[in-house]
Amino acid sequence: MIRGADAVIKVLAAHGVTTVFGYPGGAIMPLYDALYGAPVEHLLSRHEQGAAFAAVGYARASGKTGVCFATSGPGATNLITSLADALLDSVPLVAITGQVSTSVIGTDAFQEIDVLGMSLSCTKHSFMVTRIDELIPTLYQAFAIAASGRPGPVLVDIPKDIQLAELEYRTPLLAIATEPRAEAGDVEAARRLLAQARQPILYVGGGVGMAGAVEQLRDLIRVTGLPSVATLKGLGAIAHDTPGYLGMLGMHGGKAANLAVQDCDLLLVVGARFDDRVTGKLASFAPKAKVIHLDIDAAELGKLRRADVAIAGDLRQILPALAMPLNITPWQAEVEHLARKHRWDYRHPGKLIYAPAMLRRLANKLPQDSVVSCDVGQHQMWVAQHMWFRRPEDHLSSAGLGTMGFGLPAAIGAQMARPGATVVLVSGDGSFMMNVQELTTIKRRRLPVKILLLDNQKLGMVKQWQQLFFEERYSETDLSDNPDFVLMASAFDIPGRSITSADEVEPALEQMLTAQGPYLLHVAIDDAFNVWPLVPPGACNSEMMDEPETRT
Amino acid sequence: MRHSLELTMQQRPEVLERVLRVTRHRGFTVTQLQMRINEDASLSLDIMVDAERAIELLSNQLNKLIDVTQCRVIPAAASSHNVCAQ
Repeated sequence: MIRGADAVIKVLAAHGVTTVFGYPGGAIMPLYDALYGAPVEHLLSRHEQGAAFAAVGYARASGKTGVCFATSGPGATNLITSLADALLDSVPLVAITGQVSTSVIGTDAFQEIDVLGMSLSCTKHSFMVTRIDELIPTLYQAFAIAASGRPGPVLVDIPKDIQLAELEYRTPLLAIATEPRAEAGDVEAARRLLAQARQPILYVGGGVGMAGAVEQLRDLIRVTGLPSVATLKGLGAIAHDTPGYLGMLGMHGGKAANLAVQDCDLLLVVGARFDDRVTGKLASFAPKAKVIHLDIDAAELGKLRRADVAIAGDLRQILPALAMPLNITPWQAEVEHLARKHRWDYRHPGKLIYAPAMLRRLANKLPQDSVVSCDVGQHQMWVAQHMWFRRPEDHLSSAGLGTMGFGLPAAIGAQMARPGATVVLVSGDGSFMMNVQELTTIKRRRLPVKILLLDNQKLGMVKQWQQLFFEERYSETDLSDNPDFVLMASAFDIPGRSITSADEVEPALEQMLTAQGPYLLHVAIDDAFNVWPLVPPGACNSEMMDEPETRT
Repeated sequence: MRHSLELTMQQRPEVLERVLRVTRHRGFTVTQLQMRINEDASLSLDIMVDAERAIELLSNQLNKLIDVTQCRVIPAAASSHNVCAQ
């Protein structure tokens, strides 16, 4: 007989979990006791949101299911933002929370909150275990649900008395979940549409990476010669030098990407969901296009845009069935012309540091095995526009929820998942402060995370919108009273330096990347520059705004 | 527009909350609701909703709920059943 808490650790081990992220507290003490001396490594965060984001970063950088622990009450409520983030970005996560004992649930006991109730809107599924014999099967189910179909976060709330109760450990028998399968007729219909199209384009989302279908997608592009665009989460699925690949589309997408999509006559949508940041005004998105929509989640099909052919299923099986040579030479030439015409221009006269050029330089310098984690705001869009990635799991960005404070803990998780990789956090002066306590986690484990902090002393993205759409009324976006970031990092034994002029960029990036341990490079960037191009809210994607002639 | 749905669900304390949360969040208003426990310990829920949106936007999301084993949209004529088993 073992305690429930010991059984939890055994279930983790049985699922190949070697690293968990968390923070102890009263109602989860039995589990932390079971962890003591166990073969599962625990990384102590300094805030439960940081623990869960580290688990998200771990999952996204490795493809494995991330695991995090938190106690009842405030511990669990602190997880909520990260669970929501994992839900919107379809990240496989198992969150285990302690709960007050079953006898006092519903009495407003100390650190009691209805976590199961709170979890309903921010998880793929959730459980509260109320009987010891349900503990092991529930945990097995949690892992199965988190990783199957469209992945997502699963929460398991375990009352303290269940953690302490004794049981005989038995591996449960689980029914194998059935995944939707593509109908042969639908695949045939999709092939017919592809063969008829004169101006087809691939619109690739995060689903490709999550499905492990990157190779199948690249084969499809090789065989068909299809021009392509990607969403924020789809970046890395297509190699950046692939002919006809136009990078990111949408609100801050490249001009060529948006114009090509607006002009296409067939949109082959793969693991993407017509997010509003992608489509702009939905009614005028790719207005001439027929749509083939492929996704593992049937609920995404027809949710926002009617598809001519919609197939719910495993992309690894569907994509090869669509690989056939296409006769689209004139369109390919047109796309190439668009790409050349709207190539990024990195010339930026003056001494100040132009963030897009610096990020392009960084991308070109990164070793093969690298992960870039970013926060949310202008720097995030510059990373998406100007950096390039070998694989989707090399680019961690809070896409659906857009959570500031994501980057630092996600970088920590990525470094734990891939200890040999160069992990670079690209953050902004706003986002960085939102989970800055996780610097302690870097210090504690001497994780060699490189921090590139882009500082324009502003909440840049909000300020950009105030400038463009709110008559330059800069309400609460001034951050000129930021702390001394290099000094702050030094308090966590993280060395670093600050640069302000363009000629310092190259040696400073070199110094950062060759540093043995963690490093912070603080970059005072040209704060006059905004993120361009931009599709204004409510506009059609062909109505992109460019950088104005006169800068503020 | 009014729509009728018939759901079969696993008996979990929070399953009704899940269904109602999804219904509200996806933009549907409940106008009638009846739940009963079946002999096999599953739950049956008859629910009538009102919305401008297409009913598939709701039924697809309800079908995704782990504890919902079946969700049928009953056509307005109620002559035949549109089965969308999970």
